[in-house]
Amino acid sequence: MFKPTASFPWLLAHEIKLLWRGSILLRTSKYVLVPVIAVSIIFQAIALLIVKYLQTQTLPLPVLILIANINLIFLSGLMLSRAMTSAIDVLYARGDADFLLASPIKPIRILAVRMIGVAASVAAPWLLLAAALANALAFFGNWQALAAYIIIPMVAVLVTAIAFLSVVSLVASIGPAKARLVSHGIALFIGVFIFALGQAPHYIAPANLRALWLAFMPNADNINAAIWLPARAFLGEFIPATLFCAVCMLVFWLVLLTRARQFADGTISAAAYGSGPARRRANAAFRRTPFAATMLKNLRLLLRFPGLVTQTVYRSLTLVPVTMILTGHFAIGTGPGVVIPLLVFLAGQLALFFISIIIGGEQSPDLLASAPVAQQTGRRAAYAAAAYACLIVMALPIIGVVFRESQMLPMLLAAIMGSILSNLMLGQRFPIPLLRPAFGKTQTGTVFSLILGVSASSLWACLAWLAVTIHPLATL
Amino acid sequence: MSFSHQNAEPFIGLAQAPTRNNPHENSALTVRGLCKSFAKPIINNLDLTIAPGEIYALLGPNGAGKTTTLRMIAGLLKPDSGSIEVFGVDVLTAPRAAKAMMAWLPDEPLLYDKLSALEYLEFVAGLWQVEPATAAARAENLLETFGLWPHRHERCEGFSRGMKQKTVLAGALIHTPKLFILDEPLTGLDAAAAKLVKSILTQCAADGAAIIITTHILEVAERLASRIGILSGGNLLAQGSFAELQAAAGQHENASLEDVFLHLTTRADV
Repeated sequence: MFKPTASFPWLLAHEIKLLWRGSILLRTSKYVLVPVIAVSIIFQAIALLIVKYLQTQTLPLPVLILIANINLIFLSGLMLSRAMTSAIDVLYARGDADFLLASPIKPIRILAVRMIGVAASVAAPWLLLAAALANALAFFGNWQALAAYIIIPMVAVLVTAIAFLSVVSLVASIGPAKARLVSHGIALFIGVFIFALGQAPHYIAPANLRALWLAFMPNADNINAAIWLPARAFLGEFIPATLFCAVCMLVFWLVLLTRARQFADGTISAAAYGSGPARRRANAAFRRTPFAATMLKNLRLLLRFPGLVTQTVYRSLTLVPVTMILTGHFAIGTGPGVVIPLLVFLAGQLALFFISIIIGGEQSPDLLASAPVAQQTGRRAAYAAAAYACLIVMALPIIGVVFRESQMLPMLLAAIMGSILSNLMLGQRFPIPLLRPAFGKTQTGTVFSLILGVSASSLWACLAWLAVTIHPLATL
Repeated sequence: MSFSHQNAEPFIGLAQAPTRNNPHENSALTVRGLCKSFAKPIINNLDLTIAPGEIYALLGPNGAGKTTTLRMIAGLLKPDSGSIEVFGVDVLTAPRAAKAMMAWLPDEPLLYDKLSALEYLEFVAGLWQVEPATAAARAENLLETFGLWPHRHERCEGFSRGMKQKTVLAGALIHTPKLFILDEPLTGLDAAAAKLVKSILTQCAADGAAIIITTHILEVAERLASRIGILSGGNLLAQGSFAELQAAAGQHENASLEDVFLHLTTRADV
């Protein structure tokens, strides 16, 4: 039915309808939900066990506020990093921006819908994790833990507003080319900083670390100060939660009000901005076989993915503790027990990321289909290119393992290959969404793949951990 | 009745001189009894024969089944029944051998935004296994011909629609196909580029290639094609030279192809 005005709810409903029609549930088998539900049940069971154990501890309010603050710092930092990347995507991917901005819809409505979309995508994975814990806490009588269902989306709303403010302002002030570079840099810096903070016990003396964390814990004099409101909101106190939500919504609204025009101008200039010319080569690189030509094309698509470096570094942060263990900067009792599962997990995640770029960048499947090549050439070339990129990142840590724990190499390689192959097969069928689709095209990928990918990588990491710790090979 | 209708055999120009061994080996494209349905029948018992060196324009109103027909010929879509042969090679049983002789250009350019024009040609040449030195020489020549040489290192994402169309045409020509399947090839081209493409296609036909083309620009079909087929509701209503179609439609010799087209398709709808 035709509606008289393009109101905000109308536009939001339109976006949700498009998302639903492009969703995996309509595009593929409904049985894809089975592994997702299985993973959710496992998470919930683990959460119940953790909470049952924690029930024996009684913590004073200042300590609870400290725990909430630490969680909020990590959560908001990682969310901000992700929101920055998503905001860049919204501005730079052409999608339907031209179409919408050419219509008489007010830019503020378009911006609002886009920001809500980013906030939802940023909140979703954390909400899934936190929900398992909150449900478990509620199950054991701590009903206020259910506040996570409101506070986490509100944190996402706040960081999304900050991310859009930063990206839109950067595009307006330094232009689309530099703004994308700077924004990706900021997103990466935040991610690395938060990760480094998580590793603080390994490089900060215990006394200094204690002093650092105590700064986030109230004392008897200031326990009612406003600075602790977010933590109290996170703990489920009603008035702080209400105030926190109000502040988040206010910031969101202010960004909408003040940046809508800049967003429209920025989107037009950013969407028109190309990535610049391809690197000039003295000689053309014509290949004799379809496989080699397709592999080369895939590697080029990979190399030209805008967030390749930042997102690869971001995903490879697990290499930091690996490197520190391998170089002997700190010793964990079970060195291989930590290093090898981490490497196996990382290999799987990188494989899923790289194959998703290739599948998402495949704009002309009909070209390959109309060529005189074997049906499986495209799939094999995609696997080969993604695995090749993956092994380039993994080569150094694998060499490190060879030097430190050479007897683990066959098991490590087997588990890495298993993790890579599982994720390649998964990603080829269900890539993760990395690029906004062109106008009129269906979104490639689904967020379900993230969950399935983490599950597949975790499974292989778990198998590797069992192999390392139980050492079944020693009995042979 | 002056034109074929529904399942009847089109009345003009179908007969090809059969040879002793394979009646179709002298034709570039032979389609027999082609049927395809999705929710409803799209193509209904289509017969079509195109000779080497011939430019055949397949016309029809929107939804007539032109693109579906071309996709089946290109081996991208399996027909429900019927046969398709390209230079005597069965597209359904030997698709790779058939595809090696074909170039398929859909109405939307099959390009990669993140590849440059030269890199795109490298990819296409690799798919059709063109010998690298030959491919490099042809690529240079084609890029020069289409005026893309100064832009050969630029990514296609920055190209205009016309430049994209020229790039995919260069891609089609790099492996010197014997059968061109072109769906609206002149879309987005300026007058000079359209003239260039028409002259290149005419030259390819003169060199022995067969070309099947769809277009909504009837003037292009009238001037370029040696034979024209009119498809409507999945049926080939009529085919032949422009003059034969005029006669079939009972139109006088000054009637335009537009008049003939509208006359035939309107009668079919009635």
